[in-house]
Amino acid sequence: MSQRKRLSNTPGSSQGKRPSSSSVAQEEHDDTAFTQPSTSQVQRGMEKLTPAQVDQKTAEVVQYFLVKDQKKIPVRRAELVKHVVKEYRTIYPEIMKRAARTFDQVFGLKMIEIDAKNHMYILINKLEPAEGPPATRSPTNPKMGLLFVILSVVFMKGGVVRENLIWSTLKKLRVDPGEKHEEFGDVKRVVTDEFVRQRYLEYVRIPHTEPVEHEFRWGQRADVEVSKTKILEFMGQLHEQDPQTWTQQHREAHSASGSSQASSSQR
Amino acid sequence: MKRAKGGGDEDGPRQNGAAGRRKGEQQKSDADDGDCDFGAGDLQEDDNDPGLRREIRSKYRDLINSVQQNREDMLRPSNNKLTEVLEEANKLFKDVRQAREAALDAQLLVVATDLGKEKASQLFAEGTAFDPTAFAEHLLSFMGLNRLEDGEDEQQNGGAVDGYLPQDAWHRVARRAQCCVRAAPSFHYMMGSFHAEPPPPKQRTERQRKAPGKEAKRIMPTQLKRMEGSHQEATEKEVERILGYLKSYYQDDPTSPISYYEFVIDPNSFSRTVENIFHTSFLIRDGLARMHMDNAKLPCIAPVEEGEVEAGGSLSRKQCIVSISPKIWKELIEAFDIKDTMIQPLNTHNE
Repeated sequence: MSQRKRLSNTPGSSQGKRPSSSSVAQEEHDDTAFTQPSTSQVQRGMEKLTPAQVDQKTAEVVQYFLVKDQKKIPVRRAELVKHVVKEYRTIYPEIMKRAARTFDQVFGLKMIEIDAKNHMYILINKLEPAEGPPATRSPTNPKMGLLFVILSVVFMKGGVVRENLIWSTLKKLRVDPGEKHEEFGDVKRVVTDEFVRQRYLEYVRIPHTEPVEHEFRWGQRADVEVSKTKILEFMGQLHEQDPQTWTQQHREAHSASGSSQASSSQR
Repeated sequence: MKRAKGGGDEDGPRQNGAAGRRKGEQQKSDADDGDCDFGAGDLQEDDNDPGLRREIRSKYRDLINSVQQNREDMLRPSNNKLTEVLEEANKLFKDVRQAREAALDAQLLVVATDLGKEKASQLFAEGTAFDPTAFAEHLLSFMGLNRLEDGEDEQQNGGAVDGYLPQDAWHRVARRAQCCVRAAPSFHYMMGSFHAEPPPPKQRTERQRKAPGKEAKRIMPTQLKRMEGSHQEATEKEVERILGYLKSYYQDDPTSPISYYEFVIDPNSFSRTVENIFHTSFLIRDGLARMHMDNAKLPCIAPVEEGEVEAGGSLSRKQCIVSISPKIWKELIEAFDIKDTMIQPLNTHNE
């Protein structure tokens, strides 16, 4: 599923997904207009390089991703090509394929293109989170708690919520966007800027509102990382109700978009 | 997630303005008998009456404001305020003649429709509705809120539960959240970034530089002390020495006066001449020597006998300033034919 948006590189297929003349791809120095090289170009490119070189470049891409992932900011293809891949851009698809394999087999991570139009990638865990208390006592990030609350409310309210509802709910939890919070600092910035940049949330302006209002939705990262079923389970626990009583949310959690989380880890 | 999937079938919010208007008008013509009817003659006057136009526009604006301000109120499914607003608008619309008013009507329609859409989405729940307030309360308990026993405090906070949230409240939520999220664990280097080479050499050079600095500092003060001490002593010693010379020359021949210039001038060194003048002046100041003019009006110097000091003391003291330049010094040497210095220089003279 994570591979569906990327160029298929089966040897022998003679068409790239995008029409690109060979001269353009070779001579292009403008990084913003990177066009995906065709399979034949990739093959030719590979012939000119040693395996060690390709491995080295793949390793650099893997490292770049891992460091970028520390802040959970998505990686843009244009940046990747400009800063890391550089002159190896003709074999870009091959490098990405190998990097994905490395993530999968070495780290247990999936590299996913969350934005096919702007070509942005993130890393998510290939494995489901373990049941019960975690094996390692790694420090928890309280911001994840804050995010979780917002995602839960948005999901339970049908996927879109006006910002006022979020702010008023947070206030009940002693988190006031107007004041500096002990744990989170500038709450408004964390929620509307940081979480949005990380693609956990979308914060979109509602037209025709005066004064300007926004609504919150799940971001692309949340869509692939967060399990709606598990949120519903948690709701059930909190309210001491059967999760199935929220029929619409339950249906949503088990619908097509929810099935990616429902799949168990493969061995 | 589909938004407009409202399961409810309520009339008011889901109708758009035009349909609502038609219905509203029908209702009105049944209900209101002569309230808003006006004769044909009135039409033309009302068209152009600026006062009426303004009134209509102002009423529209009021309606728009009321929708925006009382948004939360209108959203509640328990009342029909939105429908009332639409009915008001219908009434106003009858009097609309000009584009400006129509524009306001359109604006009101947009605002009302928006609200209507939101009301519709509220009705979305088949099954249990989700109440964020209840959720917040349950979550506070989950986070470990220690509710105070005192019931009064709860009311004072306007319904918000009082109490203390433990330090790790949000960490508890975060831990629970981790179970629901397939986030990639953050990657960090185990040893931090690591350069083996630079630090040790830096330390070594610093230490070396520091050592000489300290020694140098230690030398300086002792040197200064010695100099200062010797400076004062040197002057005193020198003055005494010169007095000694003066006395011995005087005793050799008490009758013959000693020429001042011959006494102080050292033909071999101008600087020593100046020093001699300087030291001799102390003798004069302290009354140990006196100067007088001889017959040739040239200055002479002679030591003062011990008994004479008090007598000459305060009465006949005079001051004068002696100046000398190398040119004058040479002229004096020539004039007095000074071959040798009368005041022998010290051998261990330190500059």
